[in-house]
Amino acid sequence: MGIKIDALKCTGCMACEMACGYHRDDGFALLSSCIVAYRTREKKDYFGVLLKREEDLLIARPEGTEIRRLGETEEEADSGKEQDASAKPMLLREACDLCEEMEIGPMCVKFCPVNAITEE
Amino acid sequence: MDYLSADKVLIVDLGTSEVTEDDLSEDLVAEKIGGAAIAKQLCEEHADGNPIVISTGLLTGTLFPATAASFITAVSPVTGKISHCPVTLKVGLEIQYSGFDYIVLKGASETPVFLWVHDGIADVTDAADVWGKDVWDTTESWRKTMGDDLIQTLVIGKAGEDGSDIAQVCCNYWASGDRFGFGKLFGAKKLKGLAFRGMGLLEAADAPEFVELSLDVLEEIKESGLAGTHGIGDLMAAAGHPEAKDWLAPIVHRHSACYNTPYATNTFVFLDADPKQIEETDNPEPGFLVTDMGALLGFHKIGLSAAEACQCLKACARYGIDGAAAAELSLAAGKSTASEIQESLLGLSGKATVAGAGTFSPWCPVQPLFDAAEEAGGDPSAWWERRMAVSYIFGIHPIFAAMCPEITEEDLLEVAGIGTEIEFAPETLDKAIAGLTG
Ligand code: SF4
Ligand code: SF4
Repeated sequence: MGIKIDALKCTGCMACEMACGYHRDDGFALLSSCIVAYRTREKKDYFGVLLKREEDLLIARPEGTEIRRLGETEEEADSGKEQDASAKPMLLREACDLCEEMEIGPMCVKFCPVNAITEE
Repeated sequence: MDYLSADKVLIVDLGTSEVTEDDLSEDLVAEKIGGAAIAKQLCEEHADGNPIVISTGLLTGTLFPATAASFITAVSPVTGKISHCPVTLKVGLEIQYSGFDYIVLKGASETPVFLWVHDGIADVTDAADVWGKDVWDTTESWRKTMGDDLIQTLVIGKAGEDGSDIAQVCCNYWASGDRFGFGKLFGAKKLKGLAFRGMGLLEAADAPEFVELSLDVLEEIKESGLAGTHGIGDLMAAAGHPEAKDWLAPIVHRHSACYNTPYATNTFVFLDADPKQIEETDNPEPGFLVTDMGALLGFHKIGLSAAEACQCLKACARYGIDGAAAAELSLAAGKSTASEIQESLLGLSGKATVAGAGTFSPWCPVQPLFDAAEEAGGDPSAWWERRMAVSYIFGIHPIFAAMCPEITEEDLLEVAGIGTEIEFAPETLDKAIAGLTG
């Protein structure tokens, strides 16, 4: 089982990020979420979702999904490329565990109001 | 106040740059619940300093649907009484997590300043380098100086600095719900704005139950008539202007939502790039995020093309001008072209119409939207005032509150009780609303 993200459906609402933060911290916080709505290119209206997994970073862009090995992402983030500015803080966070201990299932899937995240 | 709160009220004396902190009293929350109701009380307590109060709703920034809103409360230069406007997008959320539930800004500074609020710390900071800059350049400058692109701002432009009647406090780069000339008040206090960033944690007394109830309400919303609707276009159609939806459609890029809000109330239009392009554009400023339906309709009424109307909105946002007031005053002055309008924006003066009772911002259309019409019954004005009061107390996105009967007062009271361990009775809400609207 995994998580599939359709970034074109996404409205950038951050509910998934807060839902994951709740799963991590048992309160409302964004610091530990392993899924984030990336939103640093506000004036360009370019947004999507990043998901940290065990081995890689899934970048759900409007034009399609990209998968980066964590090492590769780290090097690029360190080089200061704008492209991956949102990715760097993700490297320190725990990877998605599919909310295995949560009774209601994957929190981000449940709380996405537009069903942009689904289980596959 | 242990739960759903940073337990801090910040008092800033702009005259001396002194910053003090109080705890948030649980008794006050038990009596007034939160948001604008408590902000009004703080405004009255500090009346001698002609304060501006920034507040979060009791549920702002939680997993309960549409908890995107924080608020600005002050004696409005437009209405002459205490009025309240919402702060949405991700700015309302960031206020909540930056470490204070309420911020009271009293007095006036002699030199330009801004308040930098981050992780429970607040500093009155020199703003001489951005005084004279427009809203966009100021937000850009603060993000660059502090090295964080996710800093959220409340900021004024030239209009507020110059004391324009129609000056508006903007959110980051975009129009806000400020129809009350709070931008003029910021300018008079030499307050260029506030910048927020925070990584706080909000605890709920019974978090699993809070989350379960939030999810039940969200699921109801997902099955409601709102499913599949989005953006300013559908909003305009729901408000009785279907032709404006078609007029806007060719330049629409994408729709986006304020924090945790199930309906995307914002629409980005591309003015200098192909709206159909979904890859990231090379143009650093391809267009504009339309956050204010009333302002857009105002320019539509003048007879501009959608692109011209959005260019005017962009100019308003850069200057920090209330677009709806600008459209109304431009029409009254006989301005009919986009260039004439943009050239005269900074010289506009006068009072625009404020629909409603002047307590809550008519940035949220003063009517029920979509399926809420049935709930509003025979007295939509009274329904709207109460609906706004409820959303301004709990921190619900006001436009979403006006379209979503699935968010009931009963749910809000229940989830607030679960989250705080305070028992909120319907009579408590009635009293808080009466205090707010009376
Ligand atoms: S499935 Fe759970 S752990 Fe994984 S991203 Fe979603 S909320 Fe986070
Ligand atoms: S919850 Fe859904 S719509 Fe909101 S940011 Fe996450 S993926 Fe996008």
